[in-house]
Amino acid sequence: MKSIGSENRKLIVEGLWNNNPIFKQVLGICSTLAVTNLVLNTAVMCAALVFTLSLSAATVSILRSLTPRNVRMMVETLIIAFYVIIVDIVLKAYWPQMSTNLGPYVGLVITNCIVMGRCEAYGNSNPPGRAFVDGLFNALGYSFILLIIAIFRELLGMGTFLGVSMPYFGGAYWDKWIIMVMPPGAFFMLAVVVWVFKSIQGVKEDKAK
Amino acid sequence: MIRKQPWYPIVYMFCVTAFFSTVVIGFTRLTSERVEANQRLALEGAVLAVLPGVQDETLSNPELHRRFTESVGLPDESSGGAYTLKEDGRVAAYAVPIEGRGFWAPIKGMIGVKADKKTITGIAFYEQSETPGLGAEIAKSSFRDQFRNKEISSQDKPLIMRRPGETLGRSEVHAVTGATQTSTRLEGIINAGLKQWQTQMAGKSEGGER
Repeated sequence: MKSIGSENRKLIVEGLWNNNPIFKQVLGICSTLAVTNLVLNTAVMCAALVFTLSLSAATVSILRSLTPRNVRMMVETLIIAFYVIIVDIVLKAYWPQMSTNLGPYVGLVITNCIVMGRCEAYGNSNPPGRAFVDGLFNALGYSFILLIIAIFRELLGMGTFLGVSMPYFGGAYWDKWIIMVMPPGAFFMLAVVVWVFKSIQGVKEDKAK
Repeated sequence: MIRKQPWYPIVYMFCVTAFFSTVVIGFTRLTSERVEANQRLALEGAVLAVLPGVQDETLSNPELHRRFTESVGLPDESSGGAYTLKEDGRVAAYAVPIEGRGFWAPIKGMIGVKADKKTITGIAFYEQSETPGLGAEIAKSSFRDQFRNKEISSQDKPLIMRRPGETLGRSEVHAVTGATQTSTRLEGIINAGLKQWQTQMAGKSEGGER
């Protein structure tokens, strides 16, 4: 049992930090840039990714001994699409407003490289439980970076947090940085966040040596 | 071994696809009623948004539906397929449905026209999946508000979209940007919709006036 625990801990550290999908692997940038101008949209997008990634990695893992090598990519895409469509339908039925806000980006989770990447790199060759943990924490690693970006973009660009006007930033003294809520703002924010986190990581690695 | 057979991948793929499709179809069936109700509400919201004087953004869903049923006349032959707003038994404004292919997926919306069949009272979309931040700006009020009080031209194109920054005529609005496919397609969608409505109405009013 001890080895399983330490294996899981390793997966958690890898997904959240050492091998973070955004600032280390630089995957899933499309949605990072697109949906991070409002914290609420970002949170829903992250929830969708957490659901899709953990479950599809586990499903790929369950089927791994049955799936022929030559069609495995097709099967993976099919499984991912399956979970994404479920998310899409649930949003359409119970939260139509959010469904319109996110537009095509829910569907585009299917092509999010993180999902395919984790299924290929881990789910394909490991037992379901661990594939699930790996997927879950990679998705959470993606989510916390996205939320950081979104919080800054919404605060600087609109002076709000989750739609609620914030002190100082929502007031007349703060000249809103409109560029932050537009696509270019995402590039700036992403670059700054990657820079900061890679620097912290670099310092730690140097110390480890 | 069955897995060594050359046909195994095909059979396997078939089974896996059949399984997941079945689940998705079942799930879609279960939620279809809700999804349809939501789409219906979105359409009713768009109709109310383009007709003058009936929009109230604070309405809850049931209230919105009630206001729609109370004040809006459903499309029929005499309105050329448009929703109508009646005041004292006469048509005060029309909400003309427009529909066509956007950049990613269909764009569906309403365009409001006064009883004079010339002055535009507003435009709204109830279905669009354009690029957020770019094409999707068409759904924002900053873009939609420019249509109010524009005039439908009797020229070849009822409405024309100009690049942002250019000076505008009576029947011209600014595109989202100078280079989005969304704008080009939306111009086509609006004009096709208006023209179709005009031809249907032309027969009617001429017949009535004579």
